[in-house]
Order: sequence, then structure tokens, then C-alpha cells
Amino acid sequence: MSETASPGIEKSEQVERRWATISIVIVSALVVMAAFAGIHQATMPQTRIETVDPRTLHIAGEFIESNLGSALEADGSVTVRAVGQQYSFTPQCIVVPTDTPVTFRATSADVVHGFLIEHSNINTMLVPGYVSSITTRFATPAEVYMPCHEFCGVGHEGMWARIKIIDKAAFQKLAADRRRLDCVAQ
Amino acid sequence: MSEEKLFSLRNRWFTGAVGLTVAIAAVAALFGFVLLPSLQTGATFADTWDKICTAAGLVRPTTLVSPVIKPDFQTSEVIVTPQMMGPTDTVSIGRGATLALRCTMCHGARGLSEADSPNLAGQYETAVYKQLQDFKTGARTSAVMSPRVTDLSDQDMRDLAAYFAYLPRLPGYHPTGDVPAPRIVISGAPLRNIPPCAACHGAIEYKTGAAWLEGESPVYLKAQLEAFATGTRRNDISQQMRNIARNMTPAEIAAAAEYYSRQPAAAVSEAAGLK
Amino acid sequence: MLHNKKLILAHFWLAFGGFGFALLLGEWQMYIRSPLHAWLGNPELYYRSVTAHGTTMAYVLPTLVAMGFGYAITEAALKRPLIGRKWAWAGLGLVLAGTIVAIIPVSLGLASVLYTFYPPMVGNPFYYIGVVMVVVGSWIWVALTVINLHAWKRDNPGAPVPLAMYANTAGALLWAWTAVGAAIELLFQIIPAALGLTTTIDAGLARVFFSWTLHAIVYFWLFPAYIAYYTIVPRAIGGRLFSDPMARISFSLFLVVAMPIGVHHLFADPQVGAGFKFLHSAFTALVSLPTLLTVFTICASVEIAGRLRGGKGALGWLKVLPWDNPLMLAVAFSFVMLGFGGAGGLINMSYQLDSSIHNTQWVTGHFHLIFGGAIVIMYFAIAYDLWPHLTGRALTSFRLMRAQLWTWFVGMIVLTFPWHYVGILGMPRRMAFYDYTDPAMAGEAASVMMSVLGGAILVVSEILFFTVLIRGHRAPRVEAGEYRFSVATHEPHSVPAALNGFGLWVSLMLGLTIINYGFPIAHLMALRDTSVPVVRVGGAK
Repeated sequence: MSETASPGIEKSEQVERRWATISIVIVSALVVMAAFAGIHQATMPQTRIETVDPRTLHIAGEFIESNLGSALEADGSVTVRAVGQQYSFTPQCIVVPTDTPVTFRATSADVVHGFLIEHSNINTMLVPGYVSSITTRFATPAEVYMPCHEFCGVGHEGMWARIKIIDKAAFQKLAADRRRLDCVAQ
Repeated sequence: MSEEKLFSLRNRWFTGAVGLTVAIAAVAALFGFVLLPSLQTGATFADTWDKICTAAGLVRPTTLVSPVIKPDFQTSEVIVTPQMMGPTDTVSIGRGATLALRCTMCHGARGLSEADSPNLAGQYETAVYKQLQDFKTGARTSAVMSPRVTDLSDQDMRDLAAYFAYLPRLPGYHPTGDVPAPRIVISGAPLRNIPPCAACHGAIEYKTGAAWLEGESPVYLKAQLEAFATGTRRNDISQQMRNIARNMTPAEIAAAAEYYSRQPAAAVSEAAGLK
Repeated sequence: MLHNKKLILAHFWLAFGGFGFALLLGEWQMYIRSPLHAWLGNPELYYRSVTAHGTTMAYVLPTLVAMGFGYAITEAALKRPLIGRKWAWAGLGLVLAGTIVAIIPVSLGLASVLYTFYPPMVGNPFYYIGVVMVVVGSWIWVALTVINLHAWKRDNPGAPVPLAMYANTAGALLWAWTAVGAAIELLFQIIPAALGLTTTIDAGLARVFFSWTLHAIVYFWLFPAYIAYYTIVPRAIGGRLFSDPMARISFSLFLVVAMPIGVHHLFADPQVGAGFKFLHSAFTALVSLPTLLTVFTICASVEIAGRLRGGKGALGWLKVLPWDNPLMLAVAFSFVMLGFGGAGGLINMSYQLDSSIHNTQWVTGHFHLIFGGAIVIMYFAIAYDLWPHLTGRALTSFRLMRAQLWTWFVGMIVLTFPWHYVGILGMPRRMAFYDYTDPAMAGEAASVMMSVLGGAILVVSEILFFTVLIRGHRAPRVEAGEYRFSVATHEPHSVPAALNGFGLWVSLMLGLTIINYGFPIAHLMALRDTSVPVVRVGGAK
């Protein structure tokens, strides 16, 4: 049996090449789609790495207790600051407006946590020592859950926060009175 | 034939594979490190090199956009880590025993109170230390405790903590069939952000700074939970207990306090030095 | 002809023994967190079980199958007894010892850290030491595989390496390199913390090291199954392997691209730059290529079998395939599950789509389908194919084998399809119980119960599996003959050097590791202030 120029081999090599080409086209199409989605910013990984000391979150810096919650920025966007710890998020009830860029900035005080917000793009990890930052836009008012979705210890199953998405105008009114908002008392 | 050299520019497999790999890596890198960051709205970069460095993950110092809102009350300043107390030594315990003589009036001769002050016998070191620190800074206030800690140094507080931790602890006492263990204690209420108490308070797992609850006065436990729930007590770092207590109903608070306080009377009396 | 039957049998029995027990744990877990059971009084028991289940299924079962099957290939493909018998037994002993050392603290609740370790949570040091022992035991197998191939090549200069051995060695080399990431994490970060030698740990860096291992390990698991696709199935169903070079290219591609793509497990993490996330995403897209090639080649090979049996027409050859042959059923089921599982993987691989399902139950459903389904069903098939050669007795209960494979397939579908669905609904992972009475979760209750049913079917399948294997030890003696592999339609007389050795592919793998992982790791190591306090678990009461 010769390995050169037998018609059977040639034919099968042609079929192989055709399939390999199709496969490469499929794979390239997937990559282009991912890049396209990235360009049109359905959601993007956070731009920069920031570090923070989990031991002193409550003593000084961005994540002290009184600085947590939703803050209306000068440019109209909203920054939500939160801390994850065993076994709750603070603020436990986060209020955000519709139709506004909302950036969540959060970190962990102890172990690895993570959270997702139902019916939204928000899905991120909280690694102690690093600040997570993720931006989204909410379309309609709703009340949804924000569970911790990364194993963080034996109380992990009890770590659920709430998000209240309220009308943009209502949020602006609330923000006029207080610098940091949350819906914890409700 | 396989006499051919593999790592040679004349080998089509070599040039093809290496060339393709390098090409793919280069295109992907161009995209990921230059093009995609350029299309990010809202991100400010000094120049292309800054874009590349940031995309690679170099930590750049960030200037805070908005100023930090300071609290209008004293928060706990204790740095709580599992390693915060250091190894125990008998000298420290001895010093603590001496200091503790002034505590016996309310907290009992052997750290077991006959009033509704908390039992301190066998309490976790970190819990005792933290509460003393918080009383001193004013993060936690009590008409009874606040004046008593003003002259305690950091080492004094460590010594007291070591001493009380060394005393025999009250074990949990929950005879079955008596009253069933309340669901709020055993399983919590997940969607109300209430994990099982034992997940932090030691019976399943211990979270540094939490207190051992077994055998505490029900009056004291109930009062503390209510204080957390209303925000009157707020020395819990980043609201970790307030988050839990405020979602408990009054009935659940009462049930939890009752559950943890349950002690065979004999055990308490005997340990407190009564017969 | 297999010379070290006892050695290979020992590997398989240990693998399946662990698997059998871990499967029961898995079904218990499924049941415990479903609406069918009240909230577990001590949630730590659930996490303990997840740790044991995950560790056994991820680190013990596939490692032992790869090793045992690997030794069988080394002897049967190279047609000579294994060099280094004593070392092989020592390696097995180390794996067994490591498993025991690891499982004891886990069973006692001292190391409920899950098989992904989760620093800064750190448990009893013996859990981690046990895992390291298992890995070292498997590295002995890697060394023996390379040594045996080298000796054969020296004695057969210029001859094409038999495909099965080529693939086996590729898998071994891939495993050796990919295990390094978790090994570094364990040896330099976690074990020192567990022993109390350090009190802080960089959790972000640890996760990057673990990601180095985490993705490629699934390709290590997959190698035995793919080897079976190429070298066993065509022979077993009376067909031919469509293309030998395509097979080699697929395995070589895995060797290069499987490993330096782990950051796609860290898409949502804050300690890796966005540029590297995209780079890994692009290369992850590449790793779907060898699977696509495999799907084609194997379908073509199966078609050959069909045509040789007289099948006509575009699809008519499907009907005449030997469906009563368990190997035929296994590969068909495997491909169906591979199709769905692979599609799920394509979703996971892009940052944007991953954002919808990261850390939801979708992820768990995905890897149970692709690994527990597509791959493990081929482990069963490999066992069935090898058994007569290992035991010297016939496997005659074809009906039982088919029933076992059917129940595994159906059970996997019923288990994992609803599982994917609840993930899309947003159900978070790794919780010991859920409140299904809330309207937000009520929609998930029915699906979770279906998964419980699927798991129960898998338990039945497992019982059938053991029945077949045990009967295989008691059946009448039979001479199984030489263990043969599939023959290609065009058997190669010579193979390009690139496809007959690993120098090129290993170099590319190392180079890509440096490009894709070098900077992220170096930069995190250089950061001074990102080590955080270690949180010891399983201790204080």
C-alpha cells in the first residue's frame, strides 16, 4: 500500500480539509461574535486592577460603613459601594435607579464571595485584597435578589441581599436628601 | 521520513505551527490590549501604553472620584483577623485573673453571672477583647461598662480576654423533646439573609470576633439582638450582625434567646459557686 | 497481550470503587438541597459531602482510569511488557495512600473547603497533602509512559508511533504540565498556611495558579475517552478509523491549547487584566477545534462501519450499525452528550455570555453533562472492552451492559438538562439548601426535583455497572486474544516527525504558558500588599 497519490487518500484528504476549514470558520465566527459583543459593550471585564486591605475596610477608605450604598455622582451616574463578608452583603438592600449607568464597586472583608443580580448583567467575584468594579444599566423598576454565588463557608446558603430598582426620578429625589442611599430599613 | 529535523525552518510543520500560534497570539493581544480598551467608554487612559499596561493588569493608583462620607458615630476600630490574639501564655492569664477581680460583681466569681450580665467564662478571646476595645473607643456604649474600661490598656484587655477564655465554658444544653429547636436558629432564613447562628458562633464553625452564645442570659441575648435590629448597638463591623438581627421577627428573637440560654439549672448553680 | 493485568485491574477497581461511593454522595447532595427534603440542620455536612464527592470524582477517578488505561495501551500498542513495573505499583500505592490521607480529614469535617480549595479558607493540612500525593503518584505514570515510548522508539527507529500510544503520551505530558499550577498553589501557598507556617495568603494569585490546572484537567479527563473514540470504537463496531493524521493533529492541538486558557475561569475575577481575559478567551475558542475535528473523524469512521455492513443512502447506514454492541451505544450516547455539553462550553467561553451564568447551577449542570456524561460513559466502555483481557473471562451480559449504558445516558439527561435550566433562572451554586417557597425560587423547584430523579437513575446504572464487572470476574474462562486497536483506512508507513513526537507541541505549550500566564503570575507575585489573613476552617468549636 502506498501513501502517495492514491485516489482514495486524495479524496479523503480533500474531505478532511473541507471539514477543517468549516471548523475554523465556525471557531472564528465565535471569536468575532465575542469581540463584537465586547465592542458593543453588552458587558466588559473591569478595566483595571485595584487592590485594597480587607483588614481595615471598616476603619478608613472607600469601604467604611458610612460610605457604602448608592451615591449619585456629579455626571448623573450612580456608584454603589458594597462589602461582602461572611455571611451578608452591606448594604443588605441596595437601591438603584432605572435608565442610568450604575457602577458597583465592591470587595470582600474575609474570604472569596461573589454575587449576581437576577435579570441583569451583574455577575462578579469578590476576592479579598482586590476591588471589583462592574457597570450596568437597569431598564425597569423591580425588586430582585442578589445572592452570594461562591462558596464562602458554612453559612453561604444564607447570604442573600436584595436590590430595589426604582424609577430614576424617585431616586433623584431620595439622593437630594442623603449622600448614600440604601433600602435597608424597608 | 522521521530523520527530518523537527526544529528547523525547513520543516513545514514547525514553521506552520509556530507561525500560526504566534499570529493568533499577536492578533488576540492586539485586540485585547489595544483595540478593546480603546473602545471602552468612561475609562480614561493617558496614552496607548497606559491602555496596554492597564489591560495587562498593572495596578495604577486610583484617585477617588467622590470624597468619603465619614460616619457621625464611632465605629469599631478593632482589626479583626483570625491571628489577632497571638499565642496564649500563663503569665497573661495570671495578669488577667487579677484584673478580673473588679469584674466579679456583675460577671460572677468564676465568670458566670447571677444577674443578666453576660457570662464570660470560656468566652472566645477575640470576642472579649473586641468588646472591651469597643467600649473604650465608644463604638459600643453601656452606662455600666464604659466607665470601667477607661483605664485599661491594650495589654490589659488581652490579659482579661486570655483569662476569661481559659475559664471552663458552658456547653450547649438542648435536650430534645423539651421544646423543638427553633428553625431560625438551626437553619436561619436564607432569603432574609439569616444564616444559621452556629455558622459563626462556634457550634458548626467559628468566625473571629463572634461570641459563644450557649448559656447566656436570655434577657441579655434578647436585648442585644434588639439593639442590633434597631441599630442602637452598632459596633458590629460593616453591619454584619445588624444585617441579620433586623430581619428577625420579635418572636424569632425571643425564641433564639430562649434556645441559647437553656442550661440545666444545676450546672449553672454549681459553676457559679452556689450549691 | 497484556502482561500486567493485575496492575491495570487494580487501577480500574480503585477508580470505580471511589466513583461508586462518590456517586451516592452526589445523589444525597442533590436530594438534600431539593424541595424533597427539609433544610439540612447542619449545613457543614453538605459542604463536607461536596468536598468528598468533588475530590474523588475530579482527582481520583479520572486519574486512575487514565493511568490504568494508559498502562494497558503502553503494553498493547507497543507490544512489549511495561518497563518499570515496580514503579507503576508504587505510583498506584501513592495514589491510594494519598486518597486515604485526604479523605480522612474531609470525612471528619476538618477540610470542607470543596475540591477547588477556596483560599483564604484553609482546612486541615492532610487533605492537601493527600491531594499532592495523588498527583505525585500520577506523575510516576507520566514518567513511565515517556520512558516506555522512548525505549520503543529507540528500538524501532523511524517507525510511526502507534496512534493509541501517541495519544496516551500526549495526555500524560499535558497532565504533567497542567498539574504544576495547582501543585504550586498547594505547595507554596496553601500547605504552608494549613501547617501554620504562614498566616496570610494571596487569594487572587492562588486562584490564578489554580486556573492553570482547572481547565486543562478536564482535557486530561477527556483523553481516555477520545483515545477510545479513535482507537477502540472503530475496531469494536467493525469499521476503520477514517484518518490517522487527523487523529494525531487533534491530540497535538489539545496538548498545545488545552492548558494556557485557564483564565476563562477567572472572567469575573478582579485580579486579572482585561487584556489577558480576552487572550484566554481567544485561545479557548481554538480548543474547540480538535473536538470539532474529532466529531468529524469519528462520525466518518462509524459511517465506514455502517457502509461495510451494507448501509446505503445518506443516512441509511445509521440503521445497520451494530446497535446491540455496547461500544456502539456508548459512542452514540457520548456524542449526543458531547454535543450539548460542548455547546454549553461555547457559551461559557465568552465573557459576555458567561456573565449570564457564571457561578449559577448552569456551570454545575454543564460539567456533569460533559464529564459525568460524555466522558464517563466512555470510561465504562473502556472497562467493558478491556475486561475480558484483564480477567481472562468473558463478559457475556450484553443486555445488562446496554441497560447500564441506557440508564446512564437517560439519567444524565434527566439530571443535567433541568440543571442547566435553573442556572439560566439564576439559581446560585453550592448552597446547602434553598427557600423554594419564595416566588423568586418557586420556578426552580420542579426542575431540581427532576434532577433528583435523574440522579436516582444514575444510581441504578451504577449498580448495573458493578454487576457487570463483578460477573466478569466469575464468568467462564476465555482466551481473549491480543488486545487490538482500530486500523486506519490508510495505515501510515511513515508519519511526519511533528506528528510522531512531542517536541514541537510541548515547546508551543510552554511558550503559550509564558505568553498567557507569565505576566499575570509575575505581576501578582510582585504585588506587596495583596496577601490577606488565612481563615482556618474545621477547627474551633
